[in-house]
Amino acid sequence: MVNVYRSAVIDAPADKVWALVRDFNGLPKWHPAIGKSEIEGGLPGDRVGCVRRFTLKEDGGLLREKLLTLSDSGRTLTYNILVSPMPVANYVATMRVTPITVGNQSFAEWWAEFDVTSGPEHVQVKDIGDNVFVVGFAAMNRKLAKK
Amino acid sequence: MATKICTSAVIDAPIEVVWAKVRDFNNMPQWHPKFSRSHIEGGALSDEVGCVRNFDIAGGGGTIRERLLALSDTEYYFRYCILTSPLPVKDYVAQLTLYPITMGNKTFGIWIAECEVTNGDEAGLIDAVGNGTFGKAFEVLNQYFAR
Repeated sequence: MVNVYRSAVIDAPADKVWALVRDFNGLPKWHPAIGKSEIEGGLPGDRVGCVRRFTLKEDGGLLREKLLTLSDSGRTLTYNILVSPMPVANYVATMRVTPITVGNQSFAEWWAEFDVTSGPEHVQVKDIGDNVFVVGFAAMNRKLAKK
Repeated sequence: MATKICTSAVIDAPIEVVWAKVRDFNNMPQWHPKFSRSHIEGGALSDEVGCVRNFDIAGGGGTIRERLLALSDTEYYFRYCILTSPLPVKDYVAQLTLYPITMGNKTFGIWIAECEVTNGDEAGLIDAVGNGTFGKAFEVLNQYFAR
């Protein structure tokens, strides 16, 4: 089991950042690596237990991820991967948004635990940390940053 | 109904550096201008959970005694309660937690207190503690470490 953790300051109030993060079907609205997304079975995207099915822009790779926890009071969501093109298993990830009261910005965290099923662990950890999480934070900040 | 006070801020220094500065339960008057003189009662060590710090509010504001309830070098937090103080509070428990901001190698600090306000002036206490103590602490720490 390995884990990866990334965090960033987003230059927007926590309620705005959380509104973006909590939309489990909304990855294409802010994450540049994600193509189309839908919630399976026509369920609402904030129904705990729902499954999002989305594709990667680069190669059309398909992922299915299940929403495990959604907390509006803790501004936290947790999901796991059901299907993906990545060499990972038992993948569980959490996103959390916390207000930075001095300056009215947000502290955003994203972490995951998983097993790497092929190739060097550190390569997979770095790929997810930098190309999924950090790229996501940077795009989120560009989208929401106070003018 | 308990009162909750929460102040959070970004400190422009790596978490290990900030933690090394704040983890010494006897050291706050060294860097926080609101406080002066501190000692640990009974000759205990300042990182001995259960120890009591006895310190003054600068300018003759009185003495505060606080007991260290928890200290974590892995999760970067300490928790304490007020035993005696001139503040209009009872059942006062507070915790300072640091988180790493991996993008930029900075630190996110969040300081939360919960208590009962005994003189009816909740807004006054929130300002005195949330801004005067916690907010000021983050401000001077950030200035101290400013790169």
